[in-house]
Amino acid sequence: MPAIIETKNLTKRYGKLIAVNDLSLNVEQGAIYGFVGPNGAGKTTTMRMITTLLQPTSGEARIAGYSVARDLRAVRRAIGYMPDFFGVYDDMQVWEYLDFFAACYEIPEATRTNLITDLLELVDLSHRRNDMVDSLSRGMKQRLCLARTLAHDPQVLILDEPASGLDPRARIEIRELLQELSRLGKTIFFSTHILADVAEICTQVGIVEAGRLVAEGSLEEMQRRIVPHRRLQVVLLSQAEQAQAALIGREGVIEVRVLENGASQKTQAAAQVLEVDFTGDDAAVSGLLKDLVGRGFPVLRFTESVHDLEDVFMHATKGIVS
Amino acid sequence: MGGDGGTEGGGSPMTAETAIAPPAPTKPARTPRNLRSYLTRNPVVLKELRGRMRGSRAFVLLTFHILVMSGFVLLLYTAYAASANAVYSGFSGQLLGKFVFGGIVTIELLLACFITPAITSSAVSGERERQTYDLLRTTLLSARSLVLGKLTAALLFVLLMLLTALPLQSLAFLLGGVAPEEVLISTGLLVATAYLFGAAGIFFSSLMRRTLGATVLTYAFALLATLGLPLLLMAVLPLSAFLFYSSPPPFLEAVLLYTFGLLVITNPIATAVTTEVLLIDRQTAFYFTQSISNGINLPFISPWLPFILFCFVLGTLMTLIGIQIVRRAER
Repeated sequence: MPAIIETKNLTKRYGKLIAVNDLSLNVEQGAIYGFVGPNGAGKTTTMRMITTLLQPTSGEARIAGYSVARDLRAVRRAIGYMPDFFGVYDDMQVWEYLDFFAACYEIPEATRTNLITDLLELVDLSHRRNDMVDSLSRGMKQRLCLARTLAHDPQVLILDEPASGLDPRARIEIRELLQELSRLGKTIFFSTHILADVAEICTQVGIVEAGRLVAEGSLEEMQRRIVPHRRLQVVLLSQAEQAQAALIGREGVIEVRVLENGASQKTQAAAQVLEVDFTGDDAAVSGLLKDLVGRGFPVLRFTESVHDLEDVFMHATKGIVS
Repeated sequence: MGGDGGTEGGGSPMTAETAIAPPAPTKPARTPRNLRSYLTRNPVVLKELRGRMRGSRAFVLLTFHILVMSGFVLLLYTAYAASANAVYSGFSGQLLGKFVFGGIVTIELLLACFITPAITSSAVSGERERQTYDLLRTTLLSARSLVLGKLTAALLFVLLMLLTALPLQSLAFLLGGVAPEEVLISTGLLVATAYLFGAAGIFFSSLMRRTLGATVLTYAFALLATLGLPLLLMAVLPLSAFLFYSSPPPFLEAVLLYTFGLLVITNPIATAVTTEVLLIDRQTAFYFTQSISNGINLPFISPWLPFILFCFVLGTLMTLIGIQIVRRAER
């Protein structure tokens, strides 16, 4: 997959403060890239640099092959940028707002009318066409802003905190809209600190902290790399201590803990839970289970608990900023 | 603006796929064919005019403007009629015509000095404060289009205000005493003044981060240009009078006269008054001579011409610097 957003050693310094430090990231074409990090990690600064709004102190960034420092117009044609604030004019009607920005993208007057109809349809605002922008709710404003970023049919959408400040329903609507746009072939690069959004829709994740990219890859890759061991849960009818003793020292087993009441309430009172930190491939996991059963331990359930993104996030970031 | 009607029509629902079908290849023509295509091609002009003319704001402002002007003319008329009967030999329509015309032009000049900057001083800083500045800068809209669009829209509105005063001005034609060249010259002065002070507003607006700062600086500039000169003259005139009493050397006299002339052309009202005085006293709108103590005739140009040139040069300079400031990427 070719990278459509590419930064190399991107750095932004404000005096002594380093907002973005040697940041190199690659966003693949067609990806939904979640740019995650605590507040103040440099997400917005990075986005402002790749949208030509801010000049990097050093390093470079390319969008669809165009340099952010030199081919300003080509970059601006390729991107749709939504900042982390609404940026709406209060004295405008909804259609005028879209008409104005479409005109700013040099779309001829004759084609704008249909374009606006289609954009409003897409973000489900057709019924508010002639209302003042000011009268829209936050969620609607956010959808309108999203429609604005689509006016010139850009290849890449760069969205800064598209879901911040929205109620759960509006957030889900935005999320669905992003998935829809991804299906239509847009590459989406968005920053967020809502990890659920990332886990739900992202194909690629980059975690940034204190201006540095601390991890990048697909969600599964990151889980493997950052939290390298697997965590197995073994529910036994009894003999938890014996099983624990049997497992310790076995190849690949890092640690075995007996969880007191684990999942016992739901099943039998006697059930006991073992948590095993384990490194090894699927065959090794299977071998472990076979071994347990072979030794006559009464295994009730055997599951691998998947690390959620919060584990990954907490591992990757060390809380330098926050 | 007639834009509203045309864009309402096509309401057929489309699927999401067609929604972001690539727009027809755009061919931005660099040279506008006529005024209308220029106005509609620059999105900023269109947007500004739509916003400005929306609702009752513009209507109220224009009505208020005409009411004030009408009241002023009525006042002039009553005052003149009263004094004409008491002091002069009788009622002279021509003199009244001149009063009405001169009075209206003076007010309109002040309007051009102080209303235009009020509109333009928020042009760029207002976008910053509304946080739409970044949005605009990531579009293909050029800094030039943004700045010129704001300036054009502001000037068009001021022009509309000047136009609404035209019926009152034509009262002067009814009374007589106003020559066509006076009308042309005063129109030129008004437009040039509006341009200069509009450009000053744009300049300070792009220079300052906040509209408040931009407005303060713009009005400081406007006050300096309109009131600064009279204050300066009050300081200079006694000095020159003193020099004239002791019959200064001709060279110094010439320098003083030309300095005085240069000061006049930085001030719209001084320019208007001087031009009118020259029209009445010397019967000239362009060129005249002034003799000094040693008999040499110094050549002078009627101040309205250099004033318009001065406005154009300074205004254009300020606009260009404004464009440069907007164009410069944030560092």
